[in-house]
Amino acid sequence: MSRLERPDDFEQRRAPLRALSDEALHARFWELVEGVVAPLIEEARTHTTPSIERSVLLRMGFSSIEAKALVEQMHERALLGHGAGALVLKLSRHRGIPVREAGLALLAGEGWEVLAP
Amino acid sequence: MKLSPDQPIDLREVLRDLERYRPRRKGWHWREKVSEHKLGPFVFKDTSRELTHSVPLMAAHAFGGIDPQCDRTLTTEIASGRFEDDLRRMRMAAWHGADHIMVIRTTGQSHFDGLIEGTPEGVGGVPISRKQIRATRKALDAIEDEVGRPINFHSYVSGVAGPEIAVVFAEEGVNGCHQDPQYNVLYRDVNMHRAYVDAAEAKRILADGGILQLDGAHNANATAKEAWKVTPELLVQHAINCAYSRAAGMPQDLIALSTVPPTAPPAPKLRLDLPYAVALRELFRGYCFRAQQNTRYMESDTREATITHVLDTLISRLTSADIQSTITPDEGRNIPWHYNNVAGVNTARQTFMGLDGLDELVDLKQEGVLREDARAIKERAVLFLEEILESGGYYAAVAAGQFVDSGHYPERKGDGIVRDPGKGDGAGSVIRREPDYGAPVCSHFGHNALAPAHGKACDAIGGCTLCNPEKIRYIDELDPEDCVDRRLETPLAERAAGLLRPEVEKQGDGVVCLTVFVPAAEAVAEAAALEMARHMNLKDPQVISRRVMHPAEGSVFEIKGVLDMAVDIARLPQEARETPLPDAEIEAWVRPRDIHVVAATVGEDEHSVGLHEILDIKHGGIEKYGFHCHDLGTSVPVERLLDAAEETGARAVLVSTIVTHGEVHKGHMQRLDALARERGMRDRLLLIAGGPQVTAELAQACGMDAGFGRGTTGREVASFIVRSLRQREKE
Repeated sequence: MSRLERPDDFEQRRAPLRALSDEALHARFWELVEGVVAPLIEEARTHTTPSIERSVLLRMGFSSIEAKALVEQMHERALLGHGAGALVLKLSRHRGIPVREAGLALLAGEGWEVLAP
Repeated sequence: MKLSPDQPIDLREVLRDLERYRPRRKGWHWREKVSEHKLGPFVFKDTSRELTHSVPLMAAHAFGGIDPQCDRTLTTEIASGRFEDDLRRMRMAAWHGADHIMVIRTTGQSHFDGLIEGTPEGVGGVPISRKQIRATRKALDAIEDEVGRPINFHSYVSGVAGPEIAVVFAEEGVNGCHQDPQYNVLYRDVNMHRAYVDAAEAKRILADGGILQLDGAHNANATAKEAWKVTPELLVQHAINCAYSRAAGMPQDLIALSTVPPTAPPAPKLRLDLPYAVALRELFRGYCFRAQQNTRYMESDTREATITHVLDTLISRLTSADIQSTITPDEGRNIPWHYNNVAGVNTARQTFMGLDGLDELVDLKQEGVLREDARAIKERAVLFLEEILESGGYYAAVAAGQFVDSGHYPERKGDGIVRDPGKGDGAGSVIRREPDYGAPVCSHFGHNALAPAHGKACDAIGGCTLCNPEKIRYIDELDPEDCVDRRLETPLAERAAGLLRPEVEKQGDGVVCLTVFVPAAEAVAEAAALEMARHMNLKDPQVISRRVMHPAEGSVFEIKGVLDMAVDIARLPQEARETPLPDAEIEAWVRPRDIHVVAATVGEDEHSVGLHEILDIKHGGIEKYGFHCHDLGTSVPVERLLDAAEETGARAVLVSTIVTHGEVHKGHMQRLDALARERGMRDRLLLIAGGPQVTAELAQACGMDAGFGRGTTGREVASFIVRSLRQREKE
């Protein structure tokens, strides 16, 4: 990617902004910021990561070590898009066992067949 | 756990039963402002509630010992690598007014894909784990009880484990943190998709936990070639994090901008920094401001750094700052030493107290260069944002090197930080959520098929850890060698045995610092200074600061080295100094009683300086309390002193003895005592001797009531006289 070099041409570039009041300049600033942020936050709304999924399992009462192992195995099985917490909950409901037991069962290599989409 | 001001913190007690310790409050705490606050002889305008225990500024004794506390939160950043040593540092800082304790993370934690557990030792900071957070929170809970003010505990939610760390912070009562995906992208080379997706989840968790968030924009100052030129971009970086945080559900009052005045003298600091500070506060009205002190232009001279930091703090008072952060004055030369944390905090609190009520005296000009420059910075920032969108958005702009370019935007030098959106730590780890994606927990951001229309998402699992903390899985230690218990073995054994070593950072480090002036050209002087330090038995002496006084006349050096010896407390001479009485108490007792005191330098001795220090009002001597002092001068025979005592009805005789050849000083003291007895005056008179070679022990052995050595103050002498005479009145 080429890097841009450019002299300080601020005096020309600022011309269109000159007429704006301070208030209007502030409004313009924040409107542009919203434009920068909108696609970023939309990506976050519709995507997840291993860290997010581990954080969900922590909140469900798993230790960091358990959460890490569970998420790794779900990722390897391409299941993470369903949500680590939802997967554990699915097994727990399927077997009628507490959520924590379901997670430990998965760690022991059991119940994965139930999670296949 | 309860602390006693006369006892060191019990680290074993801190570590006991941690698996059951729960934080007693959550969320950020601001100081309670008290306006029109009457303290001593003054009415303060910008103060908060006083502390129950503190160490006042040194000049406070002249004003009745007052210790006013400013209305801003004061931050100190602590990072020795061992959290157990940091706890003692936190306590010292709290006594000096710090109520925002920021714990720096160990190098490399940003790239640790998951949580660290246990208490391993860090480098340049502490590995942040649940146990370390819990122990620190427990200690801070006890410290805040001791000082009488809530203390905010702060660390970092950056790197590739942000959401998990945010969960731990919310669970464990951490009150503030840094979270800014731009920091991950620009400075930690974390993949940008990963950084932003993680950040939304982390911010949502922090928001629900009431945790105050600081951004990372100040880093652009610290890394820029010419820090004042990066100001338009700083407005943009702040804005991106603010807008992103709000979109993730964080309220404005939990979002703080981390801002730093970019320059330092000899640059014309206020002329450059003040318009920027004004522009920032105008554009971001409604957000909080965390004002940091400048690090970009810090060198090894702690005085020079301190003056820059005073000017930074002045800018905070001229504009606004909800939090005033402090930088240790030694950060330019080493990992901060604990007493320099205290020095940094004192720089801010002393400056704020001196500037109290400034708003009523001074206004910033609303026309001229301040307004013009503030406006120009904002316009440059708007142009910066326009170019981001023209390039195709944030990711494309970073890829094109638009950020942290050393040009004064819109000038571009072509040296900005370039990151590839497809690369970096955690690249390829962002996963699209399926339509049935779910997370049965609270504080989750984004699409969630398990979020019910009513009630909480965690109802599906009978509550998450944020609602039911008893579900938290606590891990104690993973490594039996690299852990706090092992590290504490030697220092605690030494402490139990009554052994003491000097320290600056970690218990038992033995590090001391010397100041040495050598009258020679710099290179020769430096070699000589190091040689002198070796002769003082310092191991590994290193010059940590050098300053030329004159190219030929000499240079002054600060040298650190290790003094490898422990002092046995039981073998120390028993000469514990009594605490002097407060000024007001001395004066209240002395004035109504018309107490006369005669004084002189005795023998063949023309030295008068020492006695002046003790007597003269302009040197802070005892005259100021209302003593009638009769100074007979120098080379005075002891007979004349007693004559004068008789004539004036004096209650005390003060003799100064500087010359000690042939132990004449002992002879003078003994003769004064003997003669006073002969004349029948001894019971009425307090006989007090002073001088560089005088000790209390020696003086008493020579028949004196008291003896004072080098460094004695008038207040100490006055306290002794008052205490003794008061005792005699009672008898």
